[in-house]
Amino acid sequence: MNAWSRLVALFSTQEHPRALALFRIALGLCGIYTIATVMLHGVVDDVWMDVAHGGYRSLKRGNFLVEWLGGTSPKMVWGMSIAALVTAFLVTIGAGGRFMVFAYLWTFSAATDFNSQASGSYDELLSSAVFLLLLTPATRTLSVDCRIRTGAWRDDTPVYAFPRWMAIFQIVLVYWATGMQKLSFYWVPGGEWSALYYIMQQPSWQRADMSWVATFYPLTQAATGLTWFWEIGAPFLLLAFVFRRKPQGRGLLRKIFNFIDFRTLYALIGVGLHLGIWAAMEVGPFSWVSLAYYICFFSPDEMARARRWLGKRWKSSPAHVTR
Amino acid sequence: MSEAGASEGPGVASKIGAHLRVVLVLFHLGAIFLMAFPAPGGAMKRAAWKDPTVQQEFQAWTGRLNGWGIEVSQEELEDELWKVAVQYTEGRSKILKPFKPYYKYTGTTQSWRMFVAPHRFPAKLEIHVKIDGEWQPAYIARDPEHNWQGRALDHDRFRSAIFRFSWSSYAKTYRSFQTWVGTRAAVDFPQASHVRTRFQKYKTASPEQVKTDTRPAPKVILERVQPLAKYR
Repeated sequence: MNAWSRLVALFSTQEHPRALALFRIALGLCGIYTIATVMLHGVVDDVWMDVAHGGYRSLKRGNFLVEWLGGTSPKMVWGMSIAALVTAFLVTIGAGGRFMVFAYLWTFSAATDFNSQASGSYDELLSSAVFLLLLTPATRTLSVDCRIRTGAWRDDTPVYAFPRWMAIFQIVLVYWATGMQKLSFYWVPGGEWSALYYIMQQPSWQRADMSWVATFYPLTQAATGLTWFWEIGAPFLLLAFVFRRKPQGRGLLRKIFNFIDFRTLYALIGVGLHLGIWAAMEVGPFSWVSLAYYICFFSPDEMARARRWLGKRWKSSPAHVTR
Repeated sequence: MSEAGASEGPGVASKIGAHLRVVLVLFHLGAIFLMAFPAPGGAMKRAAWKDPTVQQEFQAWTGRLNGWGIEVSQEELEDELWKVAVQYTEGRSKILKPFKPYYKYTGTTQSWRMFVAPHRFPAKLEIHVKIDGEWQPAYIARDPEHNWQGRALDHDRFRSAIFRFSWSSYAKTYRSFQTWVGTRAAVDFPQASHVRTRFQKYKTASPEQVKTDTRPAPKVILERVQPLAKYR
């Protein structure tokens, strides 16, 4: 079998749809969070509206969808925001299949693109993930669509695995690219490794005054070094997935990666870093969108095993027995 | 069409679909990789390179290069980097041009320049109102006691905008923001005669300076006082 044939076989792999369903639910919830907080904080008019309608700056142009629909206006801004919120909800509950995913992708992109100065990388991180849901029936299971189609909430009919793998590639690319651009003297080895300490002192992003971190400066230095290597080393995560796929293969590196369970180790560090960012800084839904990608790190079979294990633990726990 | 041909139909379509799938997956991965590949992006403003935070980075890297035996002055380093960055950015734009519609319609724009360097000379927004001839703080960033309009101004989307206002290239938007502040202050502080918007720019304190309480003194920048009568 040549390389091309192997690729064809690989991308034709199918798996249980539960991992993709959980990814879909997480992305829907992230969209709800993203749009709802803008509404609940009363910021829609302030940041997405033109100065003539209460906004802080002149905003004449929206993205391509807004232009197609007649350009920016208060009705358009609110209409698009509500549409993004509603479609995010419908994708979360799995109603409307690919059409709803498509509607979510475009309305969310339009809503978050009214003002390029008031956006963050998390918007692109989310839309990049939602696009992947279009590539396979993301509402196959754990969805309203499934309930209507089969009469049950679950359907074991397999779906293609490649969108889940593409999500892994995407998050690896995000980490690697951002790591490669951390060329500041405060980040790189040989420098002070004080980047995280000083970033936490920036008033723009901190939740509250963070000068107390000075007491734990050596810890922030360790975290800076860890973060830099963790980001730069993201491509090793792809290698870890290759090694996991064929654990019987040869090579010392494969044995080491599988022995230390590199993937789980990498994911645990990532969860720690993202929760740390969330606790210390106000960067919108960035941590939650990033962590949504982590669902794709685990195969549907592993999820089933984890569920069975948790079920057994629960049944044997004193809390359950005494009920 | 023969029966045999009819039964082979779906098989052929499925095979073609499998090959097409690989092509499309590889196209997508290639496209996002090209756009995500490190680039200076918003840093391609020579005026922004004069900011003390950026100057400090150049100074540190000049020192490091000199330490490695590469004789270069800070000015030379800046000039060389600018030339390389301009060429690189132009080349990158040409490569990415055919992919632009793909990024646009699929929502897969890749821009991952996140916290590439700490801003050592940040600017903190302050808004004061003048009541009975005295300035009183209305909003001071990250100060829970002075949090007028804080629900909006402290939201991450407004923070992203406010972060830019202290950079010279966003002077026009900052002026527009000041009008936004004036409009709201005129309503929320009926007894106030003026509103003042400004930034406190300072060098972030080192751990030692925090411990010894010897933080660098801030400097007021971009101050503007507006009479509120014009908004009433």
